[in-house]
Amino acid sequence: MNSQEVPALDPGAPVILEMRHIAKTFGAVTALVDASIKLHRGEVLALVGDNGAGKSTLIKILSGFHQPDAGTIILNGNEVRFASPRDARANGIETVYQDLALIGDLSIFHNMFLGREYHKRVFGLNLLDNAKMRDLAVKYLKTMEISIPSVNSTVDLLSGGQRQCVAVARSIYSSPTILVLDEPLAALGIREGGQVLGLIQNLRRQRSVSIILIVHNYHQVFEVCDRINFLHSGGIVLDASTTETSEEELIRIAKSGLSRTAPAAAADEVGSNPA
Amino acid sequence: MSLKLEPKKEPTARTVEPSLATTRTASVKLPSTILERLLFILSRYREASIAVVAVALVVYFQIGSHGQFIETQFLGVVFRDTGRFGLIAVAEAMLMITAEIDLSVGSTFALAPYTMGLLSVLWGVPVAVGAVAGVALCVLVGVVNGVITVHFRVPSLITTVGTLFFVQGIVVSIYNSQPIMTPVEEPFNEFFGESLYNPRADAMLSWHWWSAFTPVLWAVLIVAVMAVVLTRTTFGLHTIATGSNPIGAREIGVRTDRIKVYNFMIAAGLAGFAGIINTLQFSSADPAAGAGFLNLEAIAAAVIGGTSLLGGSGTAVGALIGAFVVATLNNGLVMIGAQATVSDIFLGAGILAAMVLNVQVDRLRTRRRI
Repeated sequence: MNSQEVPALDPGAPVILEMRHIAKTFGAVTALVDASIKLHRGEVLALVGDNGAGKSTLIKILSGFHQPDAGTIILNGNEVRFASPRDARANGIETVYQDLALIGDLSIFHNMFLGREYHKRVFGLNLLDNAKMRDLAVKYLKTMEISIPSVNSTVDLLSGGQRQCVAVARSIYSSPTILVLDEPLAALGIREGGQVLGLIQNLRRQRSVSIILIVHNYHQVFEVCDRINFLHSGGIVLDASTTETSEEELIRIAKSGLSRTAPAAAADEVGSNPA
Repeated sequence: MSLKLEPKKEPTARTVEPSLATTRTASVKLPSTILERLLFILSRYREASIAVVAVALVVYFQIGSHGQFIETQFLGVVFRDTGRFGLIAVAEAMLMITAEIDLSVGSTFALAPYTMGLLSVLWGVPVAVGAVAGVALCVLVGVVNGVITVHFRVPSLITTVGTLFFVQGIVVSIYNSQPIMTPVEEPFNEFFGESLYNPRADAMLSWHWWSAFTPVLWAVLIVAVMAVVLTRTTFGLHTIATGSNPIGAREIGVRTDRIKVYNFMIAAGLAGFAGIINTLQFSSADPAAGAGFLNLEAIAAAVIGGTSLLGGSGTAVGALIGAFVVATLNNGLVMIGAQATVSDIFLGAGILAAMVLNVQVDRLRTRRRI
């Protein structure tokens, strides 16, 4: 464990994001009852909890994918309302979804710049500036210390860890104030997961972006996070810094939580989160 | 566990350098058998491989017809069909890249020229104006196809079967199924379609020679434009993204629904344009011009040209070459003395072979990832 490599977060770091009393139901399913989270500048906040606890719903509300039934989002002291993912992005919130939203048939550099392509005028036509995007992608991935075979190769030729890193790099490229990572370690082996954790740790060291990290594995949480929020049955049941809590406590909460969860939800624990 | 970021050596050793020419590490599964190697090459140069097939067919028919294939009026017929199929096939390829399909092109193919003819006959509207109106009407059908598909979430296969019958029904019934003679108004006709190539009367590269080949020339032009659109514009990039990973594309902010509707509009518009060119060649608008297998032949051309029905991959140039292959099969077999009906057997076999090949090539691609 080398979390001590990263200096502790400045205790005076201002709150840049607050989600207050968020509630959301989908038809008969109640995803969030009353969830509130706070995120400080430069902080890495882990959102843990079992499947069906509402983690994905909460971050999809933050990223503008869903609209909350109740509750408010306060960004830099101002109440905001995101009608779409574009809105959230325009407000400096980038999200890397579990499915990574990478386009398998497109090259890495096209993926990096999808939705914000560079253009050049050729005979009065607005054509893609592939050379520029390729160069920028190469340089950028290098500074992020992400190693990929070639920016020209299509994403479906990459390994899981590489894909995750490319997805994170793409989100960081627009210098967001908040980066949301939805299960970045799911479906990754130890070595590949380490690659992604290393990238998160790098970002944490720089403290230039605040990160909300959704994770399953409590062990990994302690390595890269400053604070942990435990979400259970649509609400936060624990909010503690990594120094105040322990892996054992999380496991205890998880177990007591599980016993209160409906059997159907418990049986589903190996499945992926509802999209 | 070490959190120091040290992925610099590891991943490169485990992944594949995409370039065929560069060296790869031993852990990568190389194409071993001849078949695998062939598929590997095909996956990289799909258009080239289908072009080889096209050339082989021409050579075969040239020999089989004792040198008649290239020299006679027949080449004009093949090119006319290539143009007609090609215009629709390239639009169909774009749609198929977004993982949608348009079967109603058979009806829009008749709608545009029939509108043109009707406007001319009833109100004396110039054919050029009528043509624009006809194509505009087709684009409107494309909007309907697109909106029903993306908004009401009806599979496009069903949506466009519906509009196929609906539009076809209107075109056939509106003027009592009568074919309409369209007036020849130069220079419009010369630009968009004159009568067929006549090797005895037409000097090479004369104006009439050019105008006799308008269908294929227009198809080549449109395909070139579409190739640029697909590979060099944001719209093309988003078209591929929409078909390759619809949810992911939407999360990134690609307006997938809009992209699909635009492609439906392009498909219907180009089918209408192909119909107009086809009609001008004969100066007669047939309400049933697109009946039969025109839509399926265009789809076959796109598939033979390497477009996947699953979305995400396909090329404009491939669609045109595929159109040439379909047109060559249709006409060449007749030339060498086969029954006209026999060509369908070969076309069918060709489609199946192309699909199997596409799937195999994709599978090989995925396997190489490991």
